[in-house]
Amino acid sequence: MKEIFTEWVPLMFSGCALTVKLFFIVIVLSIPLGLVITFLYSGSISGKEKSKARLEKKKSLINYFLWAKDCVLSGVLGFYILIMRGTPLLLQIFFIYFGLPFMPVVGKYLTISDRFTAGAVAYVLNYAAYYAEIFRGGLLSVDKGQYEAAKVLGLSERQTTFKIVMPQMIRISLPAVSNEAIILIKDTALITTIGLVDLLKVTNSIVNRTTNISAFIVAAVFYLAMSYVLTLFFKYLEKKFAF
Amino acid sequence: MSMIEIKHIKKSFDDLEVLKDVSFSVEKGDVTAILGPSGSGKSTMLRSLIELETIDSGEILIEGEVLCKDGIYPPKKKKKEILDRMGMVFQHFNLFPHMTIKDNLMCACLCAKQGTKAELEALAKELLAKVDLSDKIDAMPSQLSGGQKQRVAIARALMRKPDIMLFDEPTSALDPELTKEVLNVIKQLSEEKMTMLIVTHEIGFALEAANKIIFLDGGVVAADGTPEEALTNNKNERIRAFLDKVM
Repeated sequence: MKEIFTEWVPLMFSGCALTVKLFFIVIVLSIPLGLVITFLYSGSISGKEKSKARLEKKKSLINYFLWAKDCVLSGVLGFYILIMRGTPLLLQIFFIYFGLPFMPVVGKYLTISDRFTAGAVAYVLNYAAYYAEIFRGGLLSVDKGQYEAAKVLGLSERQTTFKIVMPQMIRISLPAVSNEAIILIKDTALITTIGLVDLLKVTNSIVNRTTNISAFIVAAVFYLAMSYVLTLFFKYLEKKFAF
Repeated sequence: MSMIEIKHIKKSFDDLEVLKDVSFSVEKGDVTAILGPSGSGKSTMLRSLIELETIDSGEILIEGEVLCKDGIYPPKKKKKEILDRMGMVFQHFNLFPHMTIKDNLMCACLCAKQGTKAELEALAKELLAKVDLSDKIDAMPSQLSGGQKQRVAIARALMRKPDIMLFDEPTSALDPELTKEVLNVIKQLSEEKMTMLIVTHEIGFALEAANKIIFLDGGVVAADGTPEEALTNNKNERIRAFLDKVM
């Protein structure tokens, strides 16, 4: 019993460091990236219709260019989201760490030799796609009347986006963002597959060494504690930004 | 010079022709009620004045300046300058739910650098006092009743110091008691000689507060004149039938 606190817990804390580091890096990078993708993707989807109508009115080179730009952008981002959501995260981690160096021609430029960086890149790309879709859901639920009110009050498109739409979109998305963050805490365990040592890996080696599976319970408490802190944090945010 | 002059405007949504040939003008200080059955193009007409809808053909002049001629609008800066002279109030209020009442009022003015923060705050307080909501300055929109929200929306539009106020069914989402609150504010504005266009179903209010009535039916102006001319003595059968139903 004693060794739980004197040996296991300190070891697990050291494993936790990687879990927490990965979590924060992914959250800090994937949420803003997801936001950017949301606006580019939504903008290109609605822009496609508008630029098509413009093109039908007047067939000029610039209108062709604008239409093509929106088509390409929405196509590329739609494909990116499809791939990221449609294939396992584990496969993506493998691909970025093991697969990229073997890509013909571009492989040598895309090689990420640091395991942690390679893993983090995979997580960020994957989570950004999910966040982009979460925020797009939020964006779609902002009432059309908000845009109209902003327009008649003379706000520019940029001011409307940053002052009116984005705060509401983020607030609407908060519960789903929180959900995704909690999933990420547990998904971090996948990074052990490219040879890094996190909380679960440490626990596993304790179990192997001591042949005592109660270490798993301690690890579960660790994960639970982290998720609980996150839950409280997002509850606080939801309350603070309630309207 | 008329405040608003509309000449032969037409507007279709795909195959549906909503405005078929609408012309009228509004003079300074006029309170114009726009009446008509649902689907007659009232809202579309009003919304096209402030470019929430673009028109296909015809001409819109605001204070003598061309806002739109045959679907062509002036350059962005000029257009914005013309649009900024009008304020609009919507049926569903469209307050910004994430901002306090004070921020709702001040947001657009701060963005447009219309004055210093202190000046705008003073103006916001003054306008909230005018619509009798001084105590709600720090409240959130969700804490207000429908009538209060609409009065805030009116105050918000007035913050931009418009020459013309457009109301798109301002009381249709309110019960009769709350409707009265809002109509009182509109009446007060009419006493101050604000030029107003009001799309409404409140015939009683239109007769009482408006000095001009435009009756739209099927995308054309069926009647245009003083309340007397337009409604009471009108021989148009369509208008008679409409009035019999609603009064």
